[in-house]
Amino acid sequence: MKTRLVIIGVVAAIIAVLGATMTDYHDGLGARVGIYFVAILGLNILIGYTGQISIGHGAFMAIGGYTTAIMSYYHHTNLIATLPLAFLTAFVCGVLVGIPALRFHGVYLALATFAFAVSVPQLPLKWSKWTGGSNGLRTHTTPSNTWLYGVSWSCAAILFVVAWALLRGRTGRAFRSIRDSEIAAASSGVSLPIYKTLAFGVSAAFAGVAGSLLVLVTNGFAQPNEFGVILSLQILIGAAVAGLGSLWGTLVGALFVGLLPELSSSAPLIGSSHGQDVVFGLIVVLVMILLPNGFAGLLRTIDSRVNSAIKSDTTTS
Amino acid sequence: MGMKGKSIAVLAAVAAVAAIAVSASGAATKATPGVTSSSILIGGTFPLTGPASLYKTIPFAEKAYFDYINDTKGGVNGRKITFEINDDGYDPSKTVPLVQQMVEKDNVFAVVGSLGTAPGLATWDYLNKRKVPQVLLATGDSYWGYSGARKYPWTMGWQPVYPGEAKLYGRYIVKNTPNAKIGVLYQNDAFGKNYYAGLRVGLGSKKGNIVDAESYDATNPDVTQQILAMKAKGADTLAIFAIPTQAITAMIVATKIGWNPQVYLGNVSGNRIFMLSAAGKGANVDGVISSNYITSNTAQPNAAGSKLAAQIVAQYAPALQATYNNGDANVMYGLAVGWTFVYALQHAGKNPTRASLMNALHNMNTTNPFIYPGMREQTSFKGKVHDNFPLEQLIMTKWAGGASGDWGTFGSIVNKVR
Amino acid sequence: MIGFSRKTKVTTGASLPVIVGIVVACVFLVVGSVRSDIFAQQTVAGLSQGAIYASLALALVLIYRATEVINFAQGEMAMATTFIAYQFTLWHITFWLAFFLTLVVAFVFGAVVYAVLIRPVQHRSVIALVIITVGLFILIDGLVTWKWGADLKFMQAPFGNHVYRGGGVAFSRQDIGVLAVSILSVILLWVLFQFTKLGLAMRAAALRPAAAALVGVRVDVMLAIGWGLAAVLGAVAGIMTEASQFLQPTMMQPILLYAFAAAVLGGLESPAGAVVGGLAIGVFLNLTGQYVGFATSEVRLPIAFAVLLVVLLFKPTGLFGRKQVRRV
Repeated sequence: MKTRLVIIGVVAAIIAVLGATMTDYHDGLGARVGIYFVAILGLNILIGYTGQISIGHGAFMAIGGYTTAIMSYYHHTNLIATLPLAFLTAFVCGVLVGIPALRFHGVYLALATFAFAVSVPQLPLKWSKWTGGSNGLRTHTTPSNTWLYGVSWSCAAILFVVAWALLRGRTGRAFRSIRDSEIAAASSGVSLPIYKTLAFGVSAAFAGVAGSLLVLVTNGFAQPNEFGVILSLQILIGAAVAGLGSLWGTLVGALFVGLLPELSSSAPLIGSSHGQDVVFGLIVVLVMILLPNGFAGLLRTIDSRVNSAIKSDTTTS
Repeated sequence: MGMKGKSIAVLAAVAAVAAIAVSASGAATKATPGVTSSSILIGGTFPLTGPASLYKTIPFAEKAYFDYINDTKGGVNGRKITFEINDDGYDPSKTVPLVQQMVEKDNVFAVVGSLGTAPGLATWDYLNKRKVPQVLLATGDSYWGYSGARKYPWTMGWQPVYPGEAKLYGRYIVKNTPNAKIGVLYQNDAFGKNYYAGLRVGLGSKKGNIVDAESYDATNPDVTQQILAMKAKGADTLAIFAIPTQAITAMIVATKIGWNPQVYLGNVSGNRIFMLSAAGKGANVDGVISSNYITSNTAQPNAAGSKLAAQIVAQYAPALQATYNNGDANVMYGLAVGWTFVYALQHAGKNPTRASLMNALHNMNTTNPFIYPGMREQTSFKGKVHDNFPLEQLIMTKWAGGASGDWGTFGSIVNKVR
Repeated sequence: MIGFSRKTKVTTGASLPVIVGIVVACVFLVVGSVRSDIFAQQTVAGLSQGAIYASLALALVLIYRATEVINFAQGEMAMATTFIAYQFTLWHITFWLAFFLTLVVAFVFGAVVYAVLIRPVQHRSVIALVIITVGLFILIDGLVTWKWGADLKFMQAPFGNHVYRGGGVAFSRQDIGVLAVSILSVILLWVLFQFTKLGLAMRAAALRPAAAALVGVRVDVMLAIGWGLAAVLGAVAGIMTEASQFLQPTMMQPILLYAFAAAVLGGLESPAGAVVGGLAIGVFLNLTGQYVGFATSEVRLPIAFAVLLVVLLFKPTGLFGRKQVRRV
């Protein structure tokens, strides 16, 4: 327990120091990593802990993002104040989606959430009078990259603690039992409807906050294009690389999705943005084949190898 | 005890990231960003991919012109021009981070030639706040001229504005076919709406003749429904205010469903190679009316601009040779914009600053070999009079010759296109 | 860790109410077309579009039947094979020869993807398979863009540009050709599965792999052939799509989405259902677009997905699927 806290402390300190010393441009990148962190955290709760597949998180991010943009544009709401609003709005939407989702499983749930992910970004185009249509909607004020870095990592920290607290208690146990066997969980008294929709709601709420921050980091613009299918797929991949069912790999997943495009565009061989897709896709495929449990799984493997090495040391000595 | 393995791995990962971040951060900023004693760095965002990628040759033609100047004249005042071409896929959410990168990481002197109304609108706040020139935008929206001059003084367009062009078509319709039933296909954003508004003004009291106006989203190449709807409402005239993908599709679909309206084509899609593609896929393109402001190397092969362009393409952009030979207006357009930037830079003083560049751009009065013979580029910022529109002339054109034809001009040069 | 092993078996075949419904719908379409030119035109356009959705949906169904994988990369595979066809035409190979060469390449491509990427992870969780196919989507997209560029390209129209008039309605040769190709594909597939030994072996490998292996069926080979065939169908869909749009890396993405809706509507395990579903969705979207004021082009995709959701809620096995039994 103590070692975990030490590690978290060190990581947090590094993040804080980086934020203070990096250039504005890199702060923007760092903020994006923080955003992915929050979104992946949320998706992990849903897929990794309750076993409900959702490829629709881009839609919840859109909901959160547009909430921030609309509140700021029409009511000049303070930007930080819009974050809890986005959280709540997305939570409610998540629960509303979670209710019909109770009837779907496996591949059908994946398709249904995919349908959701594809349809929601089209809606601002339909109601363009209030949402700015394809031109998008602008927040009233645009914050600096350093501010964004601080806010997104603060959100990441707060929500990480929330997730951790939620998942270690009774709720967490209920989630895990649902993931392992719904019928067994139900027959031991876990209310499937309540916990499954709760998971959807919480997961969506996290995504909503991530969406708000994403709008802020793109110069305050909320546009339908930002929240397309690709975003949902990126979050999914980030969660898979992180390792589903464990919070430890979240940072790695976020770094992967947030930084790989940037790093590979400056790499000499790959260069153009198209090369980056090839690398990204290749790594995803390789990770899924070779590291089925993502980075968290890798950690566990290293961990157990180190452990057994130590054990064999102590037994032979 | 089991935490050891995990902690080592996590710390290693974070340390690696920290190392990369710290080493990559911090570029020294210069006095005038982007300007050294031997070079000038400029950049722009262009749709090399995505729905508007039929424009992708424009930045390469611009670069070819800069290479020509660098090679034959040693650049401008001894400084060679380096042109950074960034791909935003016509998607404003991608334009924003690219522009931030150009300004904050690469320290460009100016943002030149960026294509797209929506991408421009998404970044003009940011660029004007930082006093970075956002000039010679490849979009004819009237905003760059009107609001631009006041609230966004660092922004400027170049080509004749869309409302002006659409007004021309409106007036022509009123004069020649006053009882036409008009259908309008327009992009559902500021670009399309700017055009559509101009058409209504040009039609004046006859704007009731518009029987149907259908919009489409730039990312959706299928406009079948919109064309079907307009045919169903009995339109016999079709105004297309669209980027090439949808414009070409509209013409193809119209023929496919047996509809033969009189088409007025916004000149953003009037490039000869687009017409050839449409005809190649079965569209009936004879009689389509549009307008022009650039020399065409196929229609005006003996103009001075055509000869210079042929030389530049052959030597500095051989990859564009094939499409140039087919009369690709993107190439001439790019060369014309490149010419204008070099002209302004030459008039921005021996040690150009961002402000001196804007001053030069705001006070031009010159011909340009690549624009239509007889037209001029003019701007002026004298006292309270702000003319922020370099090109304000058009000549009307009509297509003849089917799948191997070309645009023929008719009438005389129209002035005061606004 | 997260496992959804297959414990459900689905049988296919249309029930009586479904068949009656389809007949009624056809009658409705004919009557409407006779009475209104624009109705007829929309129906023709809808069938033409729907035929493309049907081809890709057919590929999805084939793969799902064989390996229970929803292949998110199906559209990109179709797009990639279309680019290969384009490359053949650039090398001055005539169109129809290029077309058949592409089908061969597509078959090999599909089989290789199965063997290298899917087989190792086939018995893992649904989520792992989804992610692998998503990764493949991105990889293929990147490779195609890297090799050919993401700008728009033009290819020769397969059926020529001639337009026929009948009454007040125009049919292009393109429309008829695309529809004919789709229907031909499903007939050929049906013949393959019902009347050939290979088809029987493939069905056995998909439904009862263990038993099939016992009687000497090379299950892995059969499944690879299934993926190969699906890739061929995808190539067909891709080339048909290119004819009505332009060739670019993103061209199959919207088609894939509609194909999902079509496959679910028809029943994920039913080839005939995929074709009926595709045509139905094409016509339905066009008619609602024409006659329902709210249904403008922005909501076309959401409407298709609303159909998908309704089907999943009320008859998840689709029009042509029968009830599924979940065993513990």
